[in-house]
Amino acid sequence: MKIRTLRLLAKEGAANVYKNKLMSAASMVTITTTLFILGLVLLIIVNVITKLEAQKRNLQVRFYLRVEATRLEQEEVAIFIENCRATGVVTAYEYESREQAYENAKKDLKHESLMEGLTPENFAEGYFVTLANPNDSDQFIAKLKLLSGVDTQWITYPKQELERISAIVGVFNYVAVFVLAVLMIISVLLISNTIRLTVFARRKEIEIMKYVGANDWFIRFPFIIEGMIIGLLGALLSFLLTSQAYVWIKNGLTALFSSIKITDLQLMEFDQFAIRILVVNIIFGMTIGVIGSFMSVKKHLDV
Amino acid sequence: MIRFVDTTKIYSNGVVGVKNVTLNIEKGEFVFVIGPSGSGKSTFLKLIMHEEAPTEGEVYVNGYSIHNMPRSEVPYLRRSLGVVFQDFRLLPNKTAYENVAFAMQIVEALPREIRRQVPLALGLVGLSKKARAYPGQLSGGEQQRVVLARALVNNPAVLIADEPTGNLDPKTSMEIMELLDEINQRGTTVIVATHEKNIVDSMKKRVITLDKGELVSDVKKGLYTDED
Ligand SMILES: Nc1ncnc2c1ncn2[C@@H]1O[C@H](COP(=O)(O)OP(=O)(O)OP(=O)(O)O)[C@@H](O)[C@H]1O
Ligand SMILES: [Mg+2]
Repeated sequence: MKIRTLRLLAKEGAANVYKNKLMSAASMVTITTTLFILGLVLLIIVNVITKLEAQKRNLQVRFYLRVEATRLEQEEVAIFIENCRATGVVTAYEYESREQAYENAKKDLKHESLMEGLTPENFAEGYFVTLANPNDSDQFIAKLKLLSGVDTQWITYPKQELERISAIVGVFNYVAVFVLAVLMIISVLLISNTIRLTVFARRKEIEIMKYVGANDWFIRFPFIIEGMIIGLLGALLSFLLTSQAYVWIKNGLTALFSSIKITDLQLMEFDQFAIRILVVNIIFGMTIGVIGSFMSVKKHLDV
Repeated sequence: MIRFVDTTKIYSNGVVGVKNVTLNIEKGEFVFVIGPSGSGKSTFLKLIMHEEAPTEGEVYVNGYSIHNMPRSEVPYLRRSLGVVFQDFRLLPNKTAYENVAFAMQIVEALPREIRRQVPLALGLVGLSKKARAYPGQLSGGEQQRVVLARALVNNPAVLIADEPTGNLDPKTSMEIMELLDEINQRGTTVIVATHEKNIVDSMKKRVITLDKGELVSDVKKGLYTDED
């Protein structure tokens, strides 16, 4: 087909959106509704996953030096940790000197008697390390064990917790994909039903076009453009609705939680994923529109 | 130009459309197809435009063979034909001009050509003044003129018309027939299925008579009542 024909047919499709206002509106509402639900579900899932990932990052590798470690060995560990931070493997770490360890122990142990006869010299220096990527922990710990100053028996990392969180994140990812797929199917069904109505109303037209000798693409293309435009409009409308609803829910939750003195449970700012939600909306909206048109024109083309 | 070779069409419910029809229509001929209701006139025309496929036998139209024609070839066959129906079949949300232009857009004619040919075609059928009117704003006769303009704007080799005057009063019917005759004079083969005795009798063209799907007579310069 020639470019000028495509342009002509695209114009035709755009004009049809307006000429068939009622059906266009019906299709658009269908797309908007499904995308709106899709958007909110996705936002909830993104929030949960983000929270969990943050939780993962808070998990620390804790290790101690041997009590009898030499100065040289102590420095070797200090340099190793600094290097790790410089290269970005470690985001932050705390260092606990023998004196601090002694003081902390005194605070923790209620009974003075237990501390009797102990001096700071009996305590080991400790490091509490936050890794940039929690999944690097095994590798990091393996490297620590090569350092002679490190007490290999006391390296701790809440691996179970990490794995549990990872598992939950995994499940949520699956749920996200599943919800996406189901909503996508539902919306294609809904939209093709709506478009089927519009096509049915216009089947006489399609028939006439065929009698005059139009080929399938000539008839199909305007409908596809029409579906695309309706999908795009539905996507934009749904984006507006989603952003409004999200901010509304976020403020509501914040107010609710602060009334019961919980302050660290906040939904993320909408701006953080506005672009992503917009892109997802547009891609899904247009795809749904095009598939819907394609499917419903199909069966009227055999004349 | 058009050749039926022992063509039979039996509909899926067993009803006979046409039966063992063999005939030739040459380039430039004007042919009436007559016969009682249900005799197969529409079926005969539908076979030519591949709205129905023959059950047996073959139909050749403008070099296309209709039996087992691939789906993708059908649009090309139809572009070599102009078709006119009793119920007009204009696109309701396009103006007269746009309806005629549509037939040219399908064949991807140049916009320049479209702007030149469409007014000519509308002029030929005497409808220049109503170019901007929508079908709903036109009388039956005017709508049929638009259909004629659409059918001939691409200069088809063959024009087929199924009771083109069935919904029109006698005077308008005569005018439409005169237009068809004029189109025929310009070289287009014209095939018209009709019930209009007066018109057939007055025009003295070739008359093909069908009865129960069978070809019962084929007369040059015939009359409606020839076979009585
Ligand atoms: N799609 C179809 N399915 C089944 N039978 C059909 C179909 N179309 C036509 N017929 C039958 O085929 C026979 C011939 O019909 P056709 O329409 O060709 O007749 P016709 O001569 O055009 O009649 P009329 O003058 O009433 O228009 C009739 O008996 C009709 O009932
Ligand atoms: Mg008929």
